Amino acid sequence: MPLTLVHPGNESKPQAAPAPARLQSLKGKKIGLLDISKPGGSFFLDRLEQLFRERYEATDIMRVKKPTYTKNAPQSIIDQLRTVDAVVEGLAD
Amino acid sequence: MAQTTERRHELRTLASYRPGTKALLVIFETDCPTCQLALPYLNALAKAGVQVIGVSQDSAQPTTQFVEQMGITYPVELDAGFTLSRHYQPQSVPTLYLLDETGEVSRTLVGFDKAGLNDIAAALGHSVIAPANDGAPAWKPGCGSRHLEPHAGEDGAGAAEPMLLRRVAPPASRVTLSDDEDPFEYCYREFGDALPVIPPTAERVAVMLRGTELAPDSVIGRIPPAYGEATVEKIAANAVMAGCKPEMMRVLIPLVRALCDENFNAHGVQATTHFAAPLVIVNGPVREELGFWSRQNVFSNVSRTNSSVGRALQLMLLNIGGGRPDGIDMSALGNPGKFSYCIAENEEENPWEPFQVDRGFTRNDSTVTLFAAEPPRGVSEHTAAKAEPILRAICQVLATVWSYRHLMNHEALVVLCPEHAKTIYNTGFSDKQRVRDFLFENTGVPMRYYAEPDGGEGTQLVPHYREITIQGERCYQKFRSPEAIKIIVTGGTAGKFSAVIGSWVTGPAGSQMVTYPIPPAMSASRKAG
Repeated sequence: MPLTLVHPGNESKPQAAPAPARLQSLKGKKIGLLDISKPGGSFFLDRLEQLFRERYEATDIMRVKKPTYTKNAPQSIIDQLRTVDAVVEGLAD
Repeated sequence: MAQTTERRHELRTLASYRPGTKALLVIFETDCPTCQLALPYLNALAKAGVQVIGVSQDSAQPTTQFVEQMGITYPVELDAGFTLSRHYQPQSVPTLYLLDETGEVSRTLVGFDKAGLNDIAAALGHSVIAPANDGAPAWKPGCGSRHLEPHAGEDGAGAAEPMLLRRVAPPASRVTLSDDEDPFEYCYREFGDALPVIPPTAERVAVMLRGTELAPDSVIGRIPPAYGEATVEKIAANAVMAGCKPEMMRVLIPLVRALCDENFNAHGVQATTHFAAPLVIVNGPVREELGFWSRQNVFSNVSRTNSSVGRALQLMLLNIGGGRPDGIDMSALGNPGKFSYCIAENEEENPWEPFQVDRGFTRNDSTVTLFAAEPPRGVSEHTAAKAEPILRAICQVLATVWSYRHLMNHEALVVLCPEHAKTIYNTGFSDKQRVRDFLFENTGVPMRYYAEPDGGEGTQLVPHYREITIQGERCYQKFRSPEAIKIIVTGGTAGKFSAVIGSWVTGPAGSQMVTYPIPPAMSASRKAG
């Protein structure tokens, strides 16, 4: 006799978001650098900002920082990042 | 003045607005989870006669669906052409505007904020509308306002099928296994951790559901990090798999509420590279009623009640929350508590008030507490006949929580065995607060350990540390306050072994200990009713 089980898991279907078009060049683009507040994150992003400026001529760099790495970014941070052409999120560890 | 006139004009677009009296406008979107969380709280104000008006940034169909599914009892109008949104310019939704009798904004509240909601209720002469421990987070940020989206035209764009934070959900799917499928192997493969589970057959789940009066389709919470809906039925299915008995549903429901409390931050706890696992601590009469074990081997495999409740929690985190140890759960070394981590306090051997009293309850209340915990670290002290040497031994272990030179950011649970508790109590510490104060004042890290600028963890934070002298040595104090040290008594009456359990990141920036009441047994509550 077939056995019937009750599904014990999450049955919601995640909705995939389409990836934005890849930037052909960083020259003159506005780049957001998101620091998640992990120790050492600023050193990594400082170097990245320097490379973006020197090597890729991305002169408009916006640095934003999450209040804590343990939680999702607050809406105000996400709203700020809506204004840039590309975002680099500085994960640590 | 011009602005006032204009605002009054804008308010005239709301058919239900009555000038000359205070009003509460709430601008929202139907598919915003924070709006779905916040708007039902305003029903209480509407019921009390406050003029509450919802302003939807979406079109009629999803708005009607929202009102029905969220049970909104106050008028809701559409913000045609984003007229009001463009006027008030909320940056995110929900945004609440408390208007005075002239239509002027006297207060604005952005996002979901229990304290802010209660302040607005108080300003309107009403009592608390957002209780602290109702399972909802204290604060939750909103979503970007629809009128600011690049494609926002003159009409509300609308969400065709909003994913609502519904209070009821469809039944769980039924999975029919063919005759040649071994149900244990199937569940091991699809739903288990790394150990076998009891197949959650429809019959077994139906029996489990007899342990609660709640409807199977009720959504108790959404378990991070996938935020899957923990319906009563899915909680029961995981309880079956873990080996729980139906009467344990009484504990599992508040346990899920605690897990989904934003103060606990299960999202971070489940995704961190740290050791943290939710430790369940049970207090009160429920221990005896359901057989929670609090004597020897309390952290071990000694009791079906402890082990199966702890395992049910872990299975829910995997199956409903999606925190799989081979996926989003990124713990570097993990924690054996991720199979099951559930203890009860040995209140009978605790010379002080039981732990739930420290947490704001009475000793007659049954409670469940969650702590984002490392594995226990042992503290042996067999020869000391007085409190102080025992407490100093504990201080030495407390000083190494997280990392020995990283101070102020962490908490610890001190688990006193009955023999140590008795000696401490009988030799000068009849007040538990004095124990906590002693541990606080005598746990520190010698300043000489910071002398070499070697870049080690915690050495960069020295300007934030407090200096203290411990037994003649200048130290930095380990904890930020005595309250960072939690004390329970549990375990067997033989053996002078206590333990220190370190925390993950604590406070509002990390995970905070949460305690929820466990309701009386169903039969008792029915008799009372």
